Amino acid sequence: MSKYWAVFKTQLLNNFAYAGDLAAGSVMIVLFLWIFAQLWKVTYSAVGTERIAGLSRQDTLWYLMLAEVIVLSKPRLARTIAQQVRDGSVAYLLNKPYHFLLYQCSVGLGDSVLRIVTNTLMGGAVVWLLVGPPPNPQGWPLVFVTVVLAWLLDFCITAMIGLAAFITEEVRAFEWIYQKILFILGGLLIPLDFYPSWLQTIAKATPFAYTLYGPARLFVEPSLLRFGEVVLGQVVWLAILAGLLTFFYQRGVTRLAINGG
Amino acid sequence: MTSFQREFRFLLALWKANLLAAMEYRGAFLLQVVGMILNNAIYFVFWILFFQRFQQVRGWKLDDMLLLFSVVATGFGLATFFFGNAVSLCEVITEGRLDYYLSLPRPVLMHVLASGSVASGMGDFTYGLLSFVVAGHFGIDAIGRFLLGSFLAIIVFLAVLVIAHSTAFWLGNANVLAAQVTNAMITFALYPITLFDGTAKFLLFTLLPAAFVGAVPAEFVRAFSWRVLGQMLGATLIFLVLALVIFHRGLRHYESGSAIQTQV
Amino acid sequence: MSAITVRNLHKTFQAKHKAAGLQGSLRALWKPEWQMVEAVRDLSFDMEDGELLGFIGPNGAGKSTTIKILTGILHPTGGDVSVLGYVPWQQRRDLAYQIGSVFGQRPQLWYHLPAIDTFYLFGKIYELDDKTIRQRIGFLTEAFEIQDLLETPVRKLSLGQRMRCEVAASLLHKPRLILLDEPSIGLDVVAKQRIRDTIKRMNEVENVGVLLTSHDAGDIEALCKRVIIVNHGQIIYQDKVSALKRSYLTSKQVDVRYAQPLPDNFQVAGAEILKAGQYGIKLRFDTRITPVEAVLTQLATAGELVDVTISDPSLEEVIRTIYQQADASPARRAANGEVARERV
Repeated sequence: MSKYWAVFKTQLLNNFAYAGDLAAGSVMIVLFLWIFAQLWKVTYSAVGTERIAGLSRQDTLWYLMLAEVIVLSKPRLARTIAQQVRDGSVAYLLNKPYHFLLYQCSVGLGDSVLRIVTNTLMGGAVVWLLVGPPPNPQGWPLVFVTVVLAWLLDFCITAMIGLAAFITEEVRAFEWIYQKILFILGGLLIPLDFYPSWLQTIAKATPFAYTLYGPARLFVEPSLLRFGEVVLGQVVWLAILAGLLTFFYQRGVTRLAINGG
Repeated sequence: MTSFQREFRFLLALWKANLLAAMEYRGAFLLQVVGMILNNAIYFVFWILFFQRFQQVRGWKLDDMLLLFSVVATGFGLATFFFGNAVSLCEVITEGRLDYYLSLPRPVLMHVLASGSVASGMGDFTYGLLSFVVAGHFGIDAIGRFLLGSFLAIIVFLAVLVIAHSTAFWLGNANVLAAQVTNAMITFALYPITLFDGTAKFLLFTLLPAAFVGAVPAEFVRAFSWRVLGQMLGATLIFLVLALVIFHRGLRHYESGSAIQTQV
Repeated sequence: MSAITVRNLHKTFQAKHKAAGLQGSLRALWKPEWQMVEAVRDLSFDMEDGELLGFIGPNGAGKSTTIKILTGILHPTGGDVSVLGYVPWQQRRDLAYQIGSVFGQRPQLWYHLPAIDTFYLFGKIYELDDKTIRQRIGFLTEAFEIQDLLETPVRKLSLGQRMRCEVAASLLHKPRLILLDEPSIGLDVVAKQRIRDTIKRMNEVENVGVLLTSHDAGDIEALCKRVIIVNHGQIIYQDKVSALKRSYLTSKQVDVRYAQPLPDNFQVAGAEILKAGQYGIKLRFDTRITPVEAVLTQLATAGELVDVTISDPSLEEVIRTIYQQADASPARRAANGEVARERV
């Protein structure tokens, strides 16, 4: 385990060297949240009620903030793995004494940690200024747990997309499509609660809802019951996706061995 | 032959070379085009869901949104497909790759921009056309306005990208800045302009002219107006001239990359 | 007629100076310190039409900067330049029709396309009609022996093959002058020789002027009639290559082997012993002080000779000597060939 910790730490330190880029990157979350604040200000005043589908304007914006933090802090894993497969450096990674996927996971986490921090600070500051204080801090530790699990869910899916590079050269298209499906079915741009009920049912049955909607909704309305539901769903999906990932990885490696042979 | 004709012929030759290069990787090219169409289409589901529930944003309806997406996607798509180096100009500058263009007897800026092509731009463009068709403005005059509006949007897009990337002449590394400007342009262009008022709206017509690649041409496609046409033409001219001046000023500062990097 | 005239050329770059480490980065962010770097200082020279001129110097000497000013890529800080009657940075495009350039480290051929496609694109760039460009490509592919390479995507060519295509591309529009910046960089001996041969042939056939920079003295020796040596942005020597050799090749080195062992403290009057073994000796002497004959006579009388090798120092060594002399002079002032030779 200690070697993965070391990989994580090195990657984290490496990111400190690009502190300027990191700060500049968090400009994006400020921009998105500011636009969302305008959109929902107009929409709430047009609807004329305090709450829409049980969420106040304040709730909606804090929900969107957490969802954006998760999306904007993801590592560009699929692209990285695809690049490594294409330029052959994957061979160096495969013959080192660690598990390729756990290695990628440590690197990815090292990449994300700082971004999660800066995005949360910047995004939180904007939303606080625009609509007021964040939801009950007692729920934060629970939210943190679900954010970590959400990150792992996303890791499994993006790693699978990256592994697709064993078969096809170009994986960016898959990355875009996954990203947009995540946006819609995960509820990045509007809380799922505002969807027509049939679509809510579909969305909530997918892992995407557990990546964004689950943690974000828990954030604005923390409760142990909700926490239990979210974590249960996340763990079940994680088991399924991790299984699939391992399966595809083993298939991919054999393929690579044949190519290299 | 007039000089315009000569440069246009040259442009055609460049595009042909780009097409040949893209055809070296046919599969990847097609995948990117289809991927980008799907990417945009899925993203647009957000607005369908939104308007189904809330009907309008200060007068903007789903139909306006379709026109907005069609203009922005067409403009950005064609700009990046035919002038693909516009999104990586700062690297061309900092890595000293301008040497090549400067040693050939052609207009440098046009030559640089048209020497690259972003495959997904073709996907954006196709999506823009689809969005226009779905919006259903089939009159010959509406199509004419769509063509003109998109054409001016392409120029404003390119002009803003060139200005943002040209900062590399002075700043050295301008990657992050240029990327942020590009992202901000597209993001702001894709929201109803009616959301913004006061300073924000002013900025969207000046410092970050997202309005001129989205809302303004979209309004023009919807209905002809001399005022909007005047606005568009004026803005296009201003940003075009600004881009040319800034880029050519920058050329005097050009340091040709490696010459000095290896020395200091 | 002069193809190139350069008078008092200056080029200063501004470089951001940054102290080491994170602290230095932060400080540079708030208050950048600027440092002026003089890449070219007070350079003057001429080049005749159809001449083969070599420009030589170590990395960072200002060679590339000078070439880039001559092609109009960089604007100079001061001084006058005329290339084929044009001021490069003001009449860049007019000049570009008349000259060709190859930058060894910057490919001009499209990476993913076969060279022939770039050749036709260049035809459009230089506004050649289809018939002219086809004839020209035919002529050049033969001269450069690249018929078999034309249809292969450039990314699949070896460096030497690519370089031959690059040089051919720069000659498509029949320029009066080509500027080659490090054309042989990274090439192996055989590939280098091939490039040199074709360049030389093009100069003979079409009387195209060649200005060549290199840090490889071999390029200059094989190709150029005249050489300019620069260091720290200044000319430290300029003259014919033959004169350079004559004036600097004043020392000779002799390697001798004998049939019998030599006496222990064997000496040759007027020569310096570099290495002495039981059966052989290696020594060096200055031909202006000690005649060759005197040394050989001494060596011949010392025992039964098995083998003798007399050699000149390589041009490389000669140039190293010139750099050292230029660096050693206290003011490091601009010295032309005459001054440099007097000091020897």
